[in-house]
Amino acid sequence: MYTLRILTIAAIKMFLRNRQAVFFTLFMPIMIMAVFGFIGFDKVPKIDVGYAITAPPTAGTTAFLEQLKKVEAFNLHPGTEMEERKAIEDGDRSVVFLIPYDLVPETADAGTRTITILNNAGDVQQSSVAIGVMNQFLSQANLAATQAPILFNLNVETINANNLRYIDFLLPGIVALAIMQMSIFSVAFVFTDYKEKGILKRLLATPIKPWQFVTANVITRLMVSVVQAIILILVGVFLFKAHVVGSVLLLLLAVILGATMFLGLGFALSGVAKTVEAVPAVANLIVFPMLFLGGTFFALDTMPNWLHTIAKYLPLTYLSDALRQIMTRDASFAMIQHDIYWMLGWAVVMVTLANFTFGFEEKRMG
Amino acid sequence: MTNIIEVKNLTKKYGDFTAVDGISFEVRAGECFGILGPNGAGKTTTLEMIEGLKIITSGNAILDGHDVAQNARMVKSLIGVQLQSSSFFDGLNLIELLEVFASFYDREVDATQLLESVQLQEKAKNQVKELSGGQKQRLSIAVALVNDPKVLFLDEPTTGLDPQARRNLWELISSINKQGKTIVLTTHYLDEAEVLCDRIAIMDHAKVIALDTTDNLLKMPGLNSAIEFRTNNPVDIENINQLTGVIEARLEEHRYHLTTTSPQQTMTGLFQLAQNQGFILNDVQLRQPNLEDVFLKLTGHGLRE
Repeated sequence: MYTLRILTIAAIKMFLRNRQAVFFTLFMPIMIMAVFGFIGFDKVPKIDVGYAITAPPTAGTTAFLEQLKKVEAFNLHPGTEMEERKAIEDGDRSVVFLIPYDLVPETADAGTRTITILNNAGDVQQSSVAIGVMNQFLSQANLAATQAPILFNLNVETINANNLRYIDFLLPGIVALAIMQMSIFSVAFVFTDYKEKGILKRLLATPIKPWQFVTANVITRLMVSVVQAIILILVGVFLFKAHVVGSVLLLLLAVILGATMFLGLGFALSGVAKTVEAVPAVANLIVFPMLFLGGTFFALDTMPNWLHTIAKYLPLTYLSDALRQIMTRDASFAMIQHDIYWMLGWAVVMVTLANFTFGFEEKRMG
Repeated sequence: MTNIIEVKNLTKKYGDFTAVDGISFEVRAGECFGILGPNGAGKTTTLEMIEGLKIITSGNAILDGHDVAQNARMVKSLIGVQLQSSSFFDGLNLIELLEVFASFYDREVDATQLLESVQLQEKAKNQVKELSGGQKQRLSIAVALVNDPKVLFLDEPTTGLDPQARRNLWELISSINKQGKTIVLTTHYLDEAEVLCDRIAIMDHAKVIALDTTDNLLKMPGLNSAIEFRTNNPVDIENINQLTGVIEARLEEHRYHLTTTSPQQTMTGLFQLAQNQGFILNDVQLRQPNLEDVFLKLTGHGLRE
């Protein structure tokens, strides 16, 4: 026990004095959070709408244009027809309306006015919204002009819903990602280095048992993962105004289980890697796909089906999902037990794998 | 003197390759025992089997009454080990490092005093990566001493060090030996073995080909001394050839080289010859046989081949 205590304290010192480890553990996740947090995916981008008038508009047409300017979803660009045609060809407009000056004529006549719409084929979604809005405007104007009675009316009530903002979605993902990075890299780099430099062999020449050394290092990293999760959540809440709910105990369970699974992977990797230089190459092969498919930055539902099928079995996906369920929905154990069991399964697989590949002495034949 | 290590028919095989081929020797308590041989002779493998680091294929090694194969953990607690490429953890200073290693033996250590004994007290708060090569080796010896071991194993302790650092390390090793610790070291430096070791086992091609005290090895029959000198006037080489004990004499660039089986008698004869023929001897050098000659004699090839 004495040995384990001294060794764990030493391992904590070594971890904290390792700048690379601290970078991966805290600074990188906070940087990612800052970048994605400030981009603000919440705001729906405005639709770039161009319009051109054939001649100085009539008073009625001007009033119509004023109405159009009030549409919040539009970013209106007035211009000549030539300018606007050029702009849409360059992709700077989703849609351009060519409006006759006498759209609303000074005196009532029976003539039909036509608005020509230049539709950007590469931006169908945006332009169809714009055309829909324009259509509605015109039919209202029609009704007004013909003085027909209004039969239907839509009553829109705005509810201030408890919406999931992007930062709320992102924060659990970042915590999961950070735990993965810390667990894999801090083990894979450090232990491959120990192996390469003959430090593990030197330890074998003392009465210490290998499991004691491994345990001290695992305890250290499990503690780091908990502290890391707490710091990142605090940064998210106070700096990026993320909204976090949920059970602390369940969070702790998910964090520790997630870290265990990735620590196992870290040991498995350092068993495979012959040199420290080989670690990032091998590790990124595994980490990189999970970075994008593990549900950190966007929900799995947005992926094509075949990718979704792969993504949903990744270890990181279960950790992201568990943390997200807890932190955004105050999930109960029952709600995340699926994730918990899968993480347990992955942890068993990883640790078993580590037992095969990782040893204090280089595994050799004979 | 009692034997602290007894090695019998120790063998290590990797598949078809035999790294150590049935060697036997004893190490006496308190002595400095050297294993000398070229690279690949099996020195390190031998050491690591006795240290409990490598599995013994056959034969056995007993350390202080404990069979290494049966009771490796016990043996490890009694020995201190310096490996050939001794690196240590980054992120700990020397004091912390020694304390961690002491904890592996379930004991506490006066790290400051231990660092003083290897003259590293000024580096106490530094990390290993800030040490020079010689300092690293001294640290490595300090780490090997944290458990106050009965036997200290040093695997090529001075390889890669500059001459000054080597001499410092030799002094350190001698002083540890004088404090009563048994030392077993491997080296491929003959001067190192000659300076440090009481007895030497010479290994070549996985076998021990000679084992004796350093003095006896150097007195081995068939080893010749060399005498070199210059003279003010030319001397007939035949006269020199006829001096007592001379095996061969030749003149090279105004310098006479001769090998002799009995250097003292040859020297006496040489001075008499100078007296009689009236020439003056200059720059006379006598070189006694060294371990290189022993090794060459035993194996027929040089140590660095």
